[in-house]
Amino acid sequence: MKAPALTEGLRQLPAGDKRLLKVCFGAALIALTLGVLFGAGTAGTRAGFVDSGPLYGYRMMTAHGVSIFFYWLYFAQAGLLLAFGAVFTVPGGHIAWRPLAWTGLATMIAGFVASGYAVIAGLPLLYDAPPELAGVPSPAVAAFYLGYLLLAAGLFCVAVSGVATVLKPRFDHRIASWPVVSFAAVGWAGLLIVSSIAALNAFLPAARWALGLSPMPSDYSVGWHVLFHNMHYLPLMATVIVWYVLVQAVAGVKSVFGAHLSKIAFAIYLIFVPPTSLYHMFLEPNLAEAVRVIGSLLSLFISVPTVTVFLVIVASLEVHARTHGAKGLFGWIGMLPWRNPAMAAMGMAVVNLAIGGAFSFVLIQEKIAPLLSDTFFVPGYFHFLTVGTVTLTFLAALCYVLPGVTGHALWKPGLLTALPYFITAGLLIFGASGVTAGYLGVPRRVLDVAYDGTAPALWGTLMAGIGIGGVIMAAGLLTYLYGLFRTLWPAPAEDVAGMTLPSVAWGDVTPAATRAWAGPLSVLLLVGAMAFFTALAFEMIQALPLQAAGAMGGH
Amino acid sequence: MKEDIVLLVIVFAVWALLAILYATVPMFAMPGYSVVWGWGSLVFLLLAAVIWIAQRRKPPSAAHPPGHSGPGAEKA
Repeated sequence: MKAPALTEGLRQLPAGDKRLLKVCFGAALIALTLGVLFGAGTAGTRAGFVDSGPLYGYRMMTAHGVSIFFYWLYFAQAGLLLAFGAVFTVPGGHIAWRPLAWTGLATMIAGFVASGYAVIAGLPLLYDAPPELAGVPSPAVAAFYLGYLLLAAGLFCVAVSGVATVLKPRFDHRIASWPVVSFAAVGWAGLLIVSSIAALNAFLPAARWALGLSPMPSDYSVGWHVLFHNMHYLPLMATVIVWYVLVQAVAGVKSVFGAHLSKIAFAIYLIFVPPTSLYHMFLEPNLAEAVRVIGSLLSLFISVPTVTVFLVIVASLEVHARTHGAKGLFGWIGMLPWRNPAMAAMGMAVVNLAIGGAFSFVLIQEKIAPLLSDTFFVPGYFHFLTVGTVTLTFLAALCYVLPGVTGHALWKPGLLTALPYFITAGLLIFGASGVTAGYLGVPRRVLDVAYDGTAPALWGTLMAGIGIGGVIMAAGLLTYLYGLFRTLWPAPAEDVAGMTLPSVAWGDVTPAATRAWAGPLSVLLLVGAMAFFTALAFEMIQALPLQAAGAMGGH
Repeated sequence: MKEDIVLLVIVFAVWALLAILYATVPMFAMPGYSVVWGWGSLVFLLLAAVIWIAQRRKPPSAAHPPGHSGPGAEKA
């Protein structure tokens, strides 16, 4: 069986490029391992399985958020950006301005160390680290912000190297037009650069305050919100780019709509970033009512880019499968290579995105956001996106990328194929418990919600669900990580040749003109789910004997 | 390549418009938003400009004839 272009392209990279990518993905896997361990500890503490005390409990919660949301997701993106840019732009490509990429990676690692020191040595500030929570400047607080600033500076350097990687073949007149993945990589790198600027805008004044050089910033939350919005968007944009690449690897399928529409779909991602950002401000008491309404309306467009790319990918797969004899409305899904670990991870990522996406729409409506934002609804739903969608997708990519850069066969592909289902089972327990807990008012960032026995008994049961789901997720992810570490580090070095993962080669035949309904039906189902959960949220909250006063100028 | 430039210029225009809105309309007054979207718009304008420069450069020799596309450039 022929190795996919991704693996083959990575194998042809210069040794220096491979070393860079190995260090980058190694750092990503270490960050994810630490984040998963701290996450399991946090979930166990909330469930009452372990008694870590408030200080260590919040330290674990902080370390969990910082390791995963900032470092795992961005080390992984840095490596994938460079890998895709080098492999897909031109045959025999390589990473341009490699010393700059090394500088960026070293700076990101320094940021990771600084953040780790801050979490261990200082007050646990949680991952958003508001200066008000720190209270007074200190070296540990300064290290927290400096860690984020180093991460941003490193990302800037890596992104510039990524842009140079894609541009250099154009300057060298080796190509006349970019493939879709190269165009998407430029947009992705551009958004990484913008996010570095947003991080500078958010954290530099706070770092200066923490070093005793200036007063406490008064508008930290605005800077945080705009950065946080980018940090929502970037991993999702990366996710759909990875899907686009992996669909070629597992099924040999390219977009049936052509390069032009695919590039427009990725450009829409960038176009929709700023207009959909206002919903993060819904908890700010001074926001004008008209801005809330406009923000609520614009927020409805937030899923348009993801849904557009999803439709392109699903329709392309379905059309090719029907050309190869698929029958029935969903019969084509069964023809996909489900024994491929990347396919299994992508499949579960799509399911989790639908669930997380439906719940996210509940939260971006200005009337309901203030009622749910500080409840466990938030971690309950966003783990479907961070773990179930983005992390599973990045792990799927590593199933191809790591064998490509190391020359090792993937460790136990059969087991890795089963793990996404196991992880999703844990996620469903965690998410169902968390979302229900949120609807019932369980606070988000309170480790012990028993309130000396005065809290409803159901809260304790739901927290046990959080703990059980969290432990299952962690077990699945740690096993996956072990497999990827075994693939990355010197192992029984079997050559990749002959070790290709199960796949189908539908792209060899020109697809016939046929109808593809699965994509549009999926979107219809998603819209229905969004409407249902929104209505449910309003029903349940209106039944509460409480009034929320935060966002309506009530204080 | 032209469509790449056009798409990035559209991104620049939307971001710049939003940055101006956040900077000038009192109801939206959020300097933090304005700074980030404003600088961001310039990033995408710069990217479009660099692609435009690459497109206009003449090939130094016939060693690598223009017209070659990357793997699966039609649709990839």
